[in-house]
Amino acid sequence: MGLHDLRDQICIAGVGDTQQGAVPTKSGDELAIDAARAAIQDCGLKKDDIDGFFAQPSYGRQGDYLKLGLMLGLNPRAGGAVEASGATGCYMIQHAALLLHSGMANYVLLVYGTNQKTNRNRFGGALLEEHAPYGGFNPSLPFAFAFRRHMHLYGTTEEQLATIAINQRRNAILNPKAAQKTPITLDDYMSARYIVEPLRMFDYCYITDGGHAFVLTTAERAKDLRKPPVYIRGMGRQEAFRAYETPDLVMQSFQQERVAKMVFPMADMTSKDIQALYVQDAYSPAIIAALENYGFCPKGEAGRWIQGGRIALEGELPINANGGQLSETYMVGWQNTCDAVRQLRGECGPRQIKDVERIMCTYTGGLREHAGALILRR
Amino acid sequence: MADYTKPLPVIEPWNEPYWRAAQRHEFVAQKCRACGYIHLPPGPACTNCLSDDQDWVALSGKGTINSYGVYHQLWHPGFKDDLPYNVALIELAEGPQIISQVTGCTNEELTCGAAVEVSFEDVTPEVTLPKFRLVRP
Repeated sequence: MGLHDLRDQICIAGVGDTQQGAVPTKSGDELAIDAARAAIQDCGLKKDDIDGFFAQPSYGRQGDYLKLGLMLGLNPRAGGAVEASGATGCYMIQHAALLLHSGMANYVLLVYGTNQKTNRNRFGGALLEEHAPYGGFNPSLPFAFAFRRHMHLYGTTEEQLATIAINQRRNAILNPKAAQKTPITLDDYMSARYIVEPLRMFDYCYITDGGHAFVLTTAERAKDLRKPPVYIRGMGRQEAFRAYETPDLVMQSFQQERVAKMVFPMADMTSKDIQALYVQDAYSPAIIAALENYGFCPKGEAGRWIQGGRIALEGELPINANGGQLSETYMVGWQNTCDAVRQLRGECGPRQIKDVERIMCTYTGGLREHAGALILRR
Repeated sequence: MADYTKPLPVIEPWNEPYWRAAQRHEFVAQKCRACGYIHLPPGPACTNCLSDDQDWVALSGKGTINSYGVYHQLWHPGFKDDLPYNVALIELAEGPQIISQVTGCTNEELTCGAAVEVSFEDVTPEVTLPKFRLVRP
């Protein structure tokens, strides 16, 4: 018995989302409920079919597991709150897969809703309290460290990094759901202000309100539901609470290389089998780290590797075809999973990746202690 | 110094010796009496073997800049007059990596890999922050 026993056994059967951007009329919990309703309808279930339930807490004491459970009127057998910032949605999918595979639950609902934009969350706190006396605020600091060090070690340039933000905006323009649709050029990027140098405004996620939800079930049960099932082919995760003691802290290699050693063997695939990639991109250097640590390109090469249209929708490895968190919406990775499912169902209209069958989604969270990945297939 | 408006460290039982040492302009780390592991930031137990039998040892104060970021955005009013200011990840000679600032130079003079040594900034009568300066050849 091992992780490979779960290969292709669990499906994402329903996805739901709400309007993204500014939604001043709704609380985070209302958005979570709207997304949950949409996900349950998407797969054609009834609310009372749900027997597993997970919620991610969100800004302003929203997303409380018990409170949301009461408001949704659920009596789940299993579930709970999961908090691993940007890796939470990925970890919940994995928890759900284990519950479903064991038979402890049959239909698991995952929800996240936030009104962080309307509530003016500026993400101004320190990641750890010992950073605050030194002015180390906002979760972008480790990403600024990472990109500065990448520039130092490998000669990567800010112009190369710009490709990520420009490419994702190009994808967002084709996405009706995206919150940011003004085209950006290299000049726009280079003349934008620094936030935490070397990162500029366009390297930061665009803070939005919104909700997302998923319904997962077994492959057997998914056959009877409304939408074509999307199978979990592989999954992996690694926490690194000792990240401060690892020699390559800022590059996340410790965590992500271990995730790679779990997710690819489970899927019986390598990075060469992946046709599109979604990276939980709170900040653009997350994509540099993921490409290198998951073996899409050699160490140090990502800045050059992403040039020349390689990561565009019609390229060799489309990345964040929805616009990602830089341009679609900042839903701590949930929006990427949702888009990957819709791509595999062929529901993406003008931003549809041609003939896509195998997609990888990667996630990081916290000071990047949390790392996880999923490989999805149709 | 009465008008010091930046956040101050949260002093708890296990990190108090670190901050008391800084007040005396001494730079120290925890060293585990059970396994010999040297670790920062301070904690209630050894992060290598979980022993609660922790000693304090003087560090050389020498290290290198692993990486750094320069803040152009203000997130706390206490830093208004410092913009743009740096926050650096320092690799200490004895192993631990800590967040601090490099002072006494311009941000343009910073490079990854540069040698630094500890310096002390008395910010209030009770609190001294260990910071770092470039080691000039």
